[in-house]
Amino acid sequence: MLMYKVAEPNEALIISGWGAHSGPTGDAAGLGFKIVVGKGALVIPGLQTARRLSLDIHEAELDVQCVTTQGVPVGVKAVVIYKIADDFQSIANAARRFLEQEDQMDAKVHNVFAGHLRSIVGTMTVEDMIRNRDKLTQATRESSAMEMQRLGLTIDSLQIQEIGDPTGYIENLGMPEAARVAKDARVAQANADREATEAEQEAEALKAAARSQSSIKQAQVQAEAQKAQAVAEQAGPLAGATAQQDVVVQQTKVAQLQAELTEQRLQADVRKPADAEAYKTRTIAEGARDARISQAEAEAREVELRAAADAKRVKLEADADAERTRLTGQAAADATRVTGEAEGDATKAKGLAEAEAIQARAKALAQNQEAVINQQVAEVLPQIVAEGAKAFGNIGQLTVLNGAQGMTDLMTQMIASGIASLPTLRTLLAAASANGSAPVADGTATAPTPKAETQA
Amino acid sequence: MTDHELVGKVGRVTGRVAPGTVGEMMLPVRGGVEAFYAYPADGLETIEAGRRAVVVEYEPPRTVMITAYPG
Repeated sequence: MLMYKVAEPNEALIISGWGAHSGPTGDAAGLGFKIVVGKGALVIPGLQTARRLSLDIHEAELDVQCVTTQGVPVGVKAVVIYKIADDFQSIANAARRFLEQEDQMDAKVHNVFAGHLRSIVGTMTVEDMIRNRDKLTQATRESSAMEMQRLGLTIDSLQIQEIGDPTGYIENLGMPEAARVAKDARVAQANADREATEAEQEAEALKAAARSQSSIKQAQVQAEAQKAQAVAEQAGPLAGATAQQDVVVQQTKVAQLQAELTEQRLQADVRKPADAEAYKTRTIAEGARDARISQAEAEAREVELRAAADAKRVKLEADADAERTRLTGQAAADATRVTGEAEGDATKAKGLAEAEAIQARAKALAQNQEAVINQQVAEVLPQIVAEGAKAFGNIGQLTVLNGAQGMTDLMTQMIASGIASLPTLRTLLAAASANGSAPVADGTATAPTPKAETQA
Repeated sequence: MTDHELVGKVGRVTGRVAPGTVGEMMLPVRGGVEAFYAYPADGLETIEAGRRAVVVEYEPPRTVMITAYPG
């Protein structure tokens, strides 16, 4: 059992040594060793050696600084996934190169592929590397196909993991698009924001309107409720008031009835008795009045009669007196008349006597005019002197220089002036006597006196 | 594994086959499917990826000459 080796599905047995040369014919003839895949084989210890060659998948990571076909330097990180191919030729090639050195295979393949990747990138643009995967695989095949076949490897996949961009080429490459996208994004965001805002505002407006309507309705309902409540609250007092009003009405009626009752009662109790009393009193009064009237009339009649009687008596008495007085007066008048006649006769006789005397004197004067004038002057002179002295009465203060002698002189002069006027007066009197003797007797004689005074 | 096992097989081209480049096609072999480098058999033909092709010639270890398979 120890001599029988079995190849796992993912490995190949490479048997070399005695008898291993008799391998498959054809292209594999002369291989010099025996390749067993997927089955077991007897290995004779000491004469043969069996080694296992893994057909597992391998991975090599690459990090290469490259230049693209545009001359843009880029750092490329890539992964190559490869394996030893399954056909005998490939296994034989690989066995000759990597048997017992599988741990170094990755490093070796890495070095090989570094060069390949550099040449691959050199045939491509950055855009192709990013986008055109077919071209990448195409380029990979073109550059590495023959070498891979020589090494007995097959490339399952070449993946570029990362492209370093020290010059910012890729970044700039994407910038217009990025800017456009950003612009579109902003525009879209702005539009969306605007639409959202519009919608929000419309919604807010609708909400506000709804709130307003709700508030209005609430207020209305509340108003109605309050109104109803107020009505309800007022209903009690109102009912109370109404009831009280009814009570008052009834009380009023009661009062009215009581008033009527009282009135009727008063009518019955007071007025009727009062009327009766009044009637009684009136009747009594009327009776009394009538009685008094009758009495008064009787008295009047009595007085009248008495007065008439008195008048008659007085008249008779007056007539008697009048007759007596008339008679008395007549008697007195007769007496007086007689007396007057007697006196008149006496006076007449006296007057006649005087007239005769005057006539006699006038006659005498006419015979001796000078004597009359002197007599008149003597009568008038005191008046003249008095009038002259009146002039001194009008003087407030009279200063007499010669003392008593001066005073005497003054008076003497004054009297002398009065005396000096006598001849003139006498002339005037004479002229007046000549014109008519009668005026000399009456008071006109005083008229010439002031003239004489003024002339003085 | 012999040459005739591949010649006449029909597979689908996975990498564009054209003159001056290396194409690829998938072929059923040994119970699996493996990728082979492909060249136009007449040196002129161009077979786009996705087309079916038939192996005309096999060059070990992993190269086949193909021509477009009608249909």
